[in-house]
Amino acid sequence: MAQSTTKMTKQLQEHICEERLFSSIFNKYSKDLHNFLYYKYGELLNPKDKVQEAFVKLWENCAKISSDKAKSFVFTTANNLMLNEVAHQKVVLKHQQTKPKLYTNESPEFLMQETEYMDKLQKALSNLTDAQREAFMMNRVEGKRFKEIADILDISTKAVEKRIYGALEKLRRDIKEL
Amino acid sequence: MNREVLISKWLDNDLNDQELEAFKNLEDYDDLIKLSNSVQTFKADEYDTPKELERVLSTITPITIGAKKQTHWFKPFMRIAAILAICFSLYYYTTTLNTNITTDVAQKTTVDLPDESSAILNAKSLLVYNKKSWENERDVALDGEAFFKVAKGSSFNVITKSGTVTVYGTQFNVKQRDHYFEVICYEGLVGVTYNSKETKLKAGDSFLNIDGKIIAKEKENRPTPSWLNNESQFKSMPYKEVLAEFERQYGITFSLQNIDNEQLFTGNFTHDNIDIALKSITLPLQLTYSKTNHTIILKRE
Repeated sequence: MAQSTTKMTKQLQEHICEERLFSSIFNKYSKDLHNFLYYKYGELLNPKDKVQEAFVKLWENCAKISSDKAKSFVFTTANNLMLNEVAHQKVVLKHQQTKPKLYTNESPEFLMQETEYMDKLQKALSNLTDAQREAFMMNRVEGKRFKEIADILDISTKAVEKRIYGALEKLRRDIKEL
Repeated sequence: MNREVLISKWLDNDLNDQELEAFKNLEDYDDLIKLSNSVQTFKADEYDTPKELERVLSTITPITIGAKKQTHWFKPFMRIAAILAICFSLYYYTTTLNTNITTDVAQKTTVDLPDESSAILNAKSLLVYNKKSWENERDVALDGEAFFKVAKGSSFNVITKSGTVTVYGTQFNVKQRDHYFEVICYEGLVGVTYNSKETKLKAGDSFLNIDGKIIAKEKENRPTPSWLNNESQFKSMPYKEVLAEFERQYGITFSLQNIDNEQLFTGNFTHDNIDIALKSITLPLQLTYSKTNHTIILKRE
């Protein structure tokens, strides 16, 4: 069993330059990578383009990278691409999203309170560290469990829990204070 | 169970019924749920994986050729192999192709065969041989008349519709026309296979078959066939054969009036002058001729 597994992974490693395998890697990781970049750096830095660039680099280096290293390669590459641009442009990150109009029947006062709350939340999210925000958003918005996030970020489940819990506490504190 | 553990378990979607009750009873339950729900609105942009995949594939496809020589050697290799295969088969095809040599009316030509052998073709004849297989079998196919000089070596075959001539020696003439098959050996030894019966001809011997009948002929004492000297010679030959040969040499047609073309003719005509040649074949039989374009009308006087 162990032997056949190694054989299989070996086979996968050998054909990463093949379009079919490349596509399957893309299908498996690109969405997580995109969301990770989005929550960490915001939408202004074009996370979609960074995903594209990272996978193009993966293709160019496909002969040197085995398929089990592909995921960490694209994550690291995309992250570096983002960091280059952040250092370059000093962009202030914001999570901007048009809010669904859920409360049309509410009183103006209530609506104002809601808007105020969302503004605070937005600011508070920006105040989180990158590490806290990426983990917290993947958990809350994408509904991913600690273990999945730990796999994506290549860190321990405990560390994920710490980041998310810390993020939650910080958000609540900030919202109260603001 | 303390608050922090409950919240962590809630975050990880890991609460059981009992713990859920406890969690709901927390004083900041409403705050937490409100926060959690509000955060949803900050969801990342839609990510269309198939569309993005298509995009990345369209970017990488042009890179493919340059960037991945090692792994994509197979396609260029196949292209080269295909070109080589085509070249090779062309080469093979052309070199194994038969060589055809034809002569037209009033035309003679000398053919140098792959070894020292040669053949001289008389008018309106076809000679076919194969350069490639010459070393193994010296076969030529003949339709018409030719004189062969055969170099020493393995057996030399002249294949005609009427029969096969196998050469053991050197010089001989083969004449194969409609219903007419004649072989004259001038030097050495020639074998003629006719109806799967072989006749061996020594120097001066000849083999003649007209309309399927073998006709005996006296010894030939000239060293080469007369047509090599631009002359056709006939000894007791049906007149129609003489006329057929004349037509081939001058590219004309005869029209006969009241003439028996089976009567025997002895004599010759030259290939160089049609008037003298016409006189040569008409005077002995007391015929007259008149020319119109390419037709010659023969009449009894």
